[in-house]
Amino acid sequence: MSEPAIAISNLNKSYRLVGTRSQFATLKSALLKRDLQLAPEASVPALKDISFVVDRGEAFGIIGRNGSGKSTMLKIISGILKPTSGTVNVHGRIAALIELGAGFHPEITGRENVYINGIMLGLSRREIDARFDRIIEFAGIGEFLDQPVKTYSSGMYVRLGFAVAVHVDPDILLIDEVLSVGDEEFSQKCVAKIQEMKYRGVTLIFVTHQLDQVRNLCDRALWLDHGEAEAIGDPRRVVDAYLQQVSGVRQAPPPVEEEPKPEAAKSEEAPEEERWGSGEVILRRVALTDDKGRELVALGAGTPVTIEIDVEVRAAQTDFVFGIGMYHADGTCVYGTNTDLEGLVPEKLDANGRVRFVMPSLDLVAGAYRIDAAVHTRNGRAFDYRRGCIRFVVGSRVHDTGVYRPKHSWKFDGGIDVRAIDTLTKNVPAPIAEAIRETESQKPPKRR
Amino acid sequence: MNEIRALYRHRQLIAALTARDLKARYRGSLLGYFWSLANPLLLLGVYTLVFTRFFPQQVVRPYPLFLFAGILPWTFFSAAVLESTTSISSNAGLIKKVMFPAEALPLVVVLSHLVHFALAIPILLVAMVIFMLLGQASMSVTILLVPVIMLVQTVFVAGIAMTVSSASVLFRDLRDIITNLMNLGFFITPIIYLIDKIDSRLLRAVLRLNPMTPFVIGYQRILFFGDLPSLSDTLLMLAYAFVSIAMGFFVFDRLRDALAEAI
Repeated sequence: MSEPAIAISNLNKSYRLVGTRSQFATLKSALLKRDLQLAPEASVPALKDISFVVDRGEAFGIIGRNGSGKSTMLKIISGILKPTSGTVNVHGRIAALIELGAGFHPEITGRENVYINGIMLGLSRREIDARFDRIIEFAGIGEFLDQPVKTYSSGMYVRLGFAVAVHVDPDILLIDEVLSVGDEEFSQKCVAKIQEMKYRGVTLIFVTHQLDQVRNLCDRALWLDHGEAEAIGDPRRVVDAYLQQVSGVRQAPPPVEEEPKPEAAKSEEAPEEERWGSGEVILRRVALTDDKGRELVALGAGTPVTIEIDVEVRAAQTDFVFGIGMYHADGTCVYGTNTDLEGLVPEKLDANGRVRFVMPSLDLVAGAYRIDAAVHTRNGRAFDYRRGCIRFVVGSRVHDTGVYRPKHSWKFDGGIDVRAIDTLTKNVPAPIAEAIRETESQKPPKRR
Repeated sequence: MNEIRALYRHRQLIAALTARDLKARYRGSLLGYFWSLANPLLLLGVYTLVFTRFFPQQVVRPYPLFLFAGILPWTFFSAAVLESTTSISSNAGLIKKVMFPAEALPLVVVLSHLVHFALAIPILLVAMVIFMLLGQASMSVTILLVPVIMLVQTVFVAGIAMTVSSASVLFRDLRDIITNLMNLGFFITPIIYLIDKIDSRLLRAVLRLNPMTPFVIGYQRILFFGDLPSLSDTLLMLAYAFVSIAMGFFVFDRLRDALAEAI
């Protein structure tokens, strides 16, 4: 079980340049010498010395400009193309959403095409029988099912293709830009289905230009530039590095002060803060404080807290967004927002200042949490992104589960009654119990 | 061996694609079945006219039946091989966009032409019954050997189809070469004449080098003459089938990796 879903090492791929070598010579050398190695002058490199590993159940994004080798990468993983050199090891059944409905025959009905497409993707006839109703329901093509596929609208065509591919129950799903086709309703349905598959432990490989999807859906990302791995690791960081470079083509940004080493992102569980950005605006200090301005590292559930951010402006900006993200130690996003989402339009950012994010009560379940704070442009290019700049623990008298604890109380009527004991001594570690006593003593003893 | 196992694994795919091919061909045309017979029937009519009216010295009688027994296996061979030259490039979408066993494509072409061939056999039987009632022909039990010779021929055709389908992706001229070879082949195969009637020993030997010769003679013997194929023809058929399928797997295996890029 420990072997990764996909392991790629020292992968190189070159395409033959058409016309530099006669076709007959190619045929001859393939037949006689089994030799598809290409002379450097007769070929263009598409991928250069790429190595990475994707674990089972991981969502892995591949980004980069057009022609950077993303689709070639996907075709090599799926086995459609062979690497020129290097090794590719894939474990598990693959379904590739490279072109939806590839292999549909226009003259025969949707029903017959579902069977043929399913068999092409590796299902048996019986397995398709078992999935047929779910496929049709997902595709939502109604009475067109028994019409030839040539009568379908392009939307119906794509829906049917997607429906078949995702019901193959692959171990690895390769997705090439397909989430951008179809109407809004359908792409939401696709994203929901993909999230469901991720939840069930399917390994996902995305190739996309929709960077939000990479940020939201992926656990790691690879940025390819001219066939080389420019960065690999945390998706926000990789996407941001990519955006920096893309925007740098248009306007040279000021020298980056704290340029992160993208490779460092590989050690994912590092407890230290990760930080990246172009540095025109700096988040000098980020702190979690109580209502009297004292910094906190441990707090009880329901305490009023403020995130204080001291901002240093090195170059005035007109396009800026402040954002906050709160995460449980296991990576679950508890809450995330930013000024843009809440309709706060940037007016000015031309001198140092302080931003405060005030929460009258932070209703979290006991556990360890971290906070990300960022200032970035509205399209997501970071000036300063501080991941895990605050780490804090929430203590609680009660060992309840989850992340959010709504304000609540239990009421019993009739023949039901209970007796309360002090849970603090029962199931809370000593340092946290101490922190709870401390924060509770600061609060006016107020019930309900 | 591995290749054959891989094909067995893809049997459902090959069967489904063959069914799709046939359905797509027959759907939307009223005379679908007729059209697959039109070409051999037309040839049959023309050559019957030429050799019974223009040059009536031909001794094989009834000539149409003799012709029919040779034209059907030839049409199967030539149509399947010719169509397999484009079987991969016309399915570029599958090869480039889906992880797809490319060798299925020429085999699907061969199988769907085999079905056309099999569907023409009842017509041949009807023709035989008519000539029997006219007292000009007889039917022999050797006709039961038809499925066996068809199986051997299918293996032979499949090997050629696999070779030319993959090679023509890398070498486009092959399609034109094959089209012309097929036109020539029709005449250097003893379909419209009896090989024994040729005077020149040398010419007979040259004609026997054509791998389709023993097959066509074999069909004529079991269908028309009510006789078993000669031992040497039988061995030749088996040898050609074996060499052809071995070459097909070898060539396809060597060229497979280049296909997705070259299309």
